[in-house]
Amino acid sequence: MISLSDFNHDHSQHSVAVSVKNLGLTYTTSIDRKPTLKARLKTLGRGKKHTRIVRALVDINVDVHYGTVLGIIGSNGAGKSSLMRVISGIVPPTQGRVEVYGSVSTLLALGVGFNPSMTGRDNVYLGGLAAGMSREEIDKNFEAIAAFSELGDAIDTPMRTYSSGMFARLAFSVAAVVEPDILIIDEALSTGDAKFKEKSLNRIKELRTSDRALILVSHALATIEDICNEVIWLDHGKLMARGNPAEVIAAYREFVDARKSASSDEDV
Amino acid sequence: MEKPVVVYEPFRAGLPPMREYLRSLWSRRTFIAAFSRSELREQNFDSLFGQLWLVLNPLLLSGVYFLLIDVIGGKSDSSRFAHLTASLFLFYLIANSLTGGVKAITSGQRLILNTSFPRIMLPISAAIVALFRFLPTLVVYIVIHVLLGLPFSWQMLWALPIIVIAIVLSLGLAILISCINVYFRDISSMLPYLTRSLLYLSPILYEAAHMSHRIKKFEVANPIFYLLDSWSRVMVHGEAPTSKGLLTSSIWALGIFVVGTYFFLSRERDFAVRL
Repeated sequence: MISLSDFNHDHSQHSVAVSVKNLGLTYTTSIDRKPTLKARLKTLGRGKKHTRIVRALVDINVDVHYGTVLGIIGSNGAGKSSLMRVISGIVPPTQGRVEVYGSVSTLLALGVGFNPSMTGRDNVYLGGLAAGMSREEIDKNFEAIAAFSELGDAIDTPMRTYSSGMFARLAFSVAAVVEPDILIIDEALSTGDAKFKEKSLNRIKELRTSDRALILVSHALATIEDICNEVIWLDHGKLMARGNPAEVIAAYREFVDARKSASSDEDV
Repeated sequence: MEKPVVVYEPFRAGLPPMREYLRSLWSRRTFIAAFSRSELREQNFDSLFGQLWLVLNPLLLSGVYFLLIDVIGGKSDSSRFAHLTASLFLFYLIANSLTGGVKAITSGQRLILNTSFPRIMLPISAAIVALFRFLPTLVVYIVIHVLLGLPFSWQMLWALPIIVIAIVLSLGLAILISCINVYFRDISSMLPYLTRSLLYLSPILYEAAHMSHRIKKFEVANPIFYLLDSWSRVMVHGEAPTSKGLLTSSIWALGIFVVGTYFFLSRERDFAVRL
């Protein structure tokens, strides 16, 4: 919730960027896909439960230092996105404490805040403001954003006329110019064609500096191994392993394979 | 070690630290403006015909009611049409903030799940959109007022505080209903009936002065009754509003604003997992 320019002080390498202590996240979510007053009234007094409790994260302890690129791996529903949302302040924790030492920019999904009926140009402003940039910062970076997106004249046409690739390109370009102290990226690289994927990967590599911390969530294990210098592995909300990328990824692969072979042993 | 910039800890039910919240809301003001503008653009506010429709819609409606009540009903005087139009225009400010506000949170799902910002921004911008749709109709009313040859007086300046009350009320309603809709999604489908009932229960198709006292005493329970009554007195008849009217409508507006905001702020951190 803080403007990115507010906290651009220098961070020495190895000082803590994010400190997660005994973090637990339990949340109540509704069982019905859409909670309605009608459903509530119909079951009034029958003691039917409308919510269920989900334990998304259990006792997580992680310190992320400046100069680190931390990769987070784990199967679906392991709590990766939940952890990212707690660190970026979208969901409050139910236990423990998260301390963040610097400005955070999140790239959890592409094109957040975009309005398809507006032009690409208007959406650069809308998306940039949604990401916490000021109008002046966007003015200053507009040319760079437009150039990175390679949209050419299409930037002045409404976004509903864009192909999904063009949409993803513009969305990533807006996010890529933000230069925060701590950048959190969740699966945002898996869009666009091969060429643009490589381009965005290179941009992320450029962002790896000693005064910045990057947290990267991905299922692309090769990418994680390539970019990150530390990896944590989550499973069912618990921290399974942490450390050297090659080792943790190997352990994770073994774990996934073991499960796979166990299920393939069952009669089909 | 340096001081943490932000700390996230478990929250107890209740309000977030208000000073910090307001500061971060204020730092988002350009985003609120850009967001509201894009909403308006979506409703074609920037095109001539889009604006024309905004004015034409309540104008046609008031024409229909005028035909029904005054022409077919058989009693006609010029101030009746003015009363209908002025009241409908203000009513639409309230109704539009309700219809805009009800989906403010549920349709902002992507934004809420992926960025951290004061959530109250979304219903606020719904109320801003309703306000911007209301302003041009005000000009149209003045034209009608002149055409009908109705008098102007200094008392009409009372319109300003009444508009302020109406803005506070529509903000409060947008905030309250956006929050309720997160928990009960069928509110949005009940809303058209709610606004329709509000339309008939309020002094729009009739004037408050013509009501029997027996019924009128129940109207204290209608949040917009005294607001619309004061509005019509001031704008149509050029009279000062009654102090009871001003007081009752202010209490309603402030009450709904305070309750809605409290409800919203104490619940808002729960929205991300409820969507």
